[in-house]
Formats: sequence, C-alpha cells, structure tokens
Amino acid sequence: MAPAPTVTVYVPGPLRTYCGGAAELSISAHTVRAALDVLERHQCSLYRNVCDETGAVRQHLNVFVNSDNTRDLGGVDTTLRTGDVVTILPAVSGG
Amino acid sequence: MADRVVLTIGTKKGVFVADAAKPRRRFTLRGPFGPGVPVYSTLIDTRGTPRLYASSCNPFFGMKVLRSTDMGKSFKETKSAPAFPKGDGRALANIWSLESGSGRRELWCGVEPASLFRSRDGGDSWEMVPGISNHKHARKWSPGNGGLCMHTIIRDGTRMHLGISTGGHYLSEDGGDTFTASNTGVGAGFAPDPYPEFGQCVHKIARHDDAPGRLYMQNHGGWADWTGPGGPRPDIGVLRSDDHGRSWRSIAKGLPSDFGFPIVVHPHDADTVYVVPLEPATRSCPGSAPAVWRSENGGDSWRRLARGLPKKQSYFTILRDAMDIDRLTTPALYFGTTTGQLWIGREGGEQWDCLFDSLPPIHNVKVAVV
Repeated sequence: MAPAPTVTVYVPGPLRTYCGGAAELSISAHTVRAALDVLERHQCSLYRNVCDETGAVRQHLNVFVNSDNTRDLGGVDTTLRTGDVVTILPAVSGG
Repeated sequence: MADRVVLTIGTKKGVFVADAAKPRRRFTLRGPFGPGVPVYSTLIDTRGTPRLYASSCNPFFGMKVLRSTDMGKSFKETKSAPAFPKGDGRALANIWSLESGSGRRELWCGVEPASLFRSRDGGDSWEMVPGISNHKHARKWSPGNGGLCMHTIIRDGTRMHLGISTGGHYLSEDGGDTFTASNTGVGAGFAPDPYPEFGQCVHKIARHDDAPGRLYMQNHGGWADWTGPGGPRPDIGVLRSDDHGRSWRSIAKGLPSDFGFPIVVHPHDADTVYVVPLEPATRSCPGSAPAVWRSENGGDSWRRLARGLPKKQSYFTILRDAMDIDRLTTPALYFGTTTGQLWIGREGGEQWDCLFDSLPPIHNVKVAVV
C-alpha cells in the first residue's frame, strides 16, 4: 500500500482545549476512518468529543472533506488525498 | 460552623449556583457554568471541603462532569466522564444522577441508557457497575418520555435503591454487586399487566435516615380511567414501602392527581413528605394553579400548600430532580420550573416566594447548608 497521504484536520474552537489549543492537526491517513483512528491513538481527549464509545461519529457532528460532507461521500470510508482538509463541525442549524 | 445555604440549579443552558446567609432573605446568583449546555444532575458534596458537581450533557461533543472546588465560583471538567466499555455496544446519551458514596471521594452516577457508574477518585475516573448495567433485564428496559434514564441512586448501608424510567425499582443488598427488581405493588399504566415484575416508569424515590426500611415513591400515575386490557389502575402514582422497597402500597388518596415527578422528605421528620401533583396530559398543576402537597403522617392525608404561588394560568412542569429541601431547623423547600422560575417555600412550604424568574428551563435543584 502506498504511503498514507498527509491531510489537515481542522479543529473547531470548542474542541481546541482537548488538543493543546491547536486549530489544525497534520496527520497521515488513507480514509476518514483511519484519520479518526489516528486521533484515538494520539489525541484521545479530542477523539472522545468526536466519536462515542461505539466508535461512531457523534450524532450531531458533521465531518467534511474539503467542502463535502462525508455523509454525501463514503462516510468514514471516504478516501483522503494529500492536501485534503478534514473539518469537524457541530451540526448547528436553525434560528 | 455552617453558615451559607447553597443551591445548584441545573438548566437547559448550564449550571447556576445561588447562595445566601442562613436567614435566606436574599440569594446571589452565579453562572451559567458550562454555558449553553444542558445540565440534568448536580451534587453538593459536603464531605470534607465541599465540592459541587454538575453533569454537562453536550449534544455535540458528549457527556462531561464538571467540578467546582471553590463553592461555585468556577467549574472545570473532571479528567473523564462515564463511558461504556469498548465493545459494549452502548453509548452514553445523558447523565441523570450524581450521588456521593463512601469515604471522601467515592461517587455514583446514573446515566442514559440506564446504567450505573462508580468513581473512587472524585469523578476523575469511572467504572461501569455490571450488576445493574448488565442485569438480565437491562436490554429489555425501554425509554420513557425523558429517555431510558437511571435517575435515582439511594444508598442505605449495604443496600442500594435505584430508580429507572422505564425499568422500575431495583434493590441491592450487597453494596451494589447484585440487584433485584423489587416492584411488588408498583403499578404500570402502559402495559396490559398492571403489576409487572419490572418495567415500571418510576419517577423518583426518597427516604429518611430516621425511618429504616421506609421509602416513598412518585411513580407514573394517571391511569385511573384506563379501560383497556388489565383495567383501570387508580392510585398507582404515589407509593410507600416499609420493608426496604420489597413491597409498596398506595398513599395517593387525597391528592388531586397521582401523577407527578419529584418526591421529597422533610429533613427532620420522616413522616412529612412533599409531592407536586400534575395533570398527566399537560404535566402542569391541576387547574393551572401550582401547589405543593404535604403529608405529615406518612401519606395518610395531604394538605395543599400554595400561599404565594400563582393562582391561575401557570402551565409549567416541575421535573423529577427540580425540588429539594434544606436542613435548617425550619427548612425551606425549593423548586425550579420548566419556565425558568426558582421558588422558595419558607417554613416548610407555608409561604412561597420567587427567587429568580427568568432562568433557562430548570432540570435540577439541589440545596445544602455549608
């Protein structure tokens, strides 16, 4: 398998306290699932805010790859390419 | 010497702390802490240096436990919150109860989906209690309107009582290692069998140290007119046990409704108990006129306490953990409403005054004298 592409994970403001204040994390992963696995290993406090005990992305969070919601792509199996930006955002909507 | 009355107020938008000198004339308010995040349970832990705890039930980022070591001037997250073991298959949806345990640092926590967790270090680490969390009934419990919650944890020596909605009352007599469904006489209105082994929608349970074996329960009543299978089941809503919860009997006679959420016992008189009867359909007080009802004889008769409360057009609900009573010589009751009012019932509920009238919807009120 080719080396995993390096992507940027954008961390929303409320979660930066769980990763030393970082707004962005650079990680290497072939898929969103693999990126979350990296977070679980190296940023476990941040990971617990993003995924529940079953490993599922929390119900009211959205994960984007660039500008596309992974829900509309391949979910956590969405493939990542070098330079992609993975953005975690709470699903805030409505008035 | 204890000289402050402290209230923790869990709301839809965080936890507030109010305190007053003992005459309780004027309370000052701080907060919200954990702003914007619902708080369903709080604990004023008076063992040693007082600590305040609050569950912070974040719909986006999951559950946290907040702790204050400066009497509610600030709160910080504990190092971890309860979480189901990997592979269990369940995910924490809410934290419904926090109670102190043995020694200085043991805590117990009831969660949704209904399970019990224990901390031995003041909330920094948690372990699931398998005797109830993996009970053979656990996967058969079903959620009530508020979710499948473990809302009541009462310790009594080596006994432990748990209230689960919708699961019923469970009793441990070995310090929490094993549990038995203990619901004889506890009715259910939403099942063909009026008295099932388990699955009742228990709303709250209370006890008093001076009355060993006695428990009071507010159950999901309001089924007197049911005409379906199993027939009507009047007066299943307010109950009493005198044998450590092995059997229960109705004490609802004399109340305008046997539906309600909180039930509170007087701190100095085990025969004095308070409930807030609600109409089942609107979950507001009968006639839209709020009132707390008090029995001074263990539930044999009841008296309405409403002086100072609105006389009409009030449709708020007082939720299961939104009423408490302090331990001063002449105690005061406190309740919070789903419309964000915090009321004090001075002289054991004889005279009511609104302390704060525009808080967020209130889930939880606890009081301690520290």
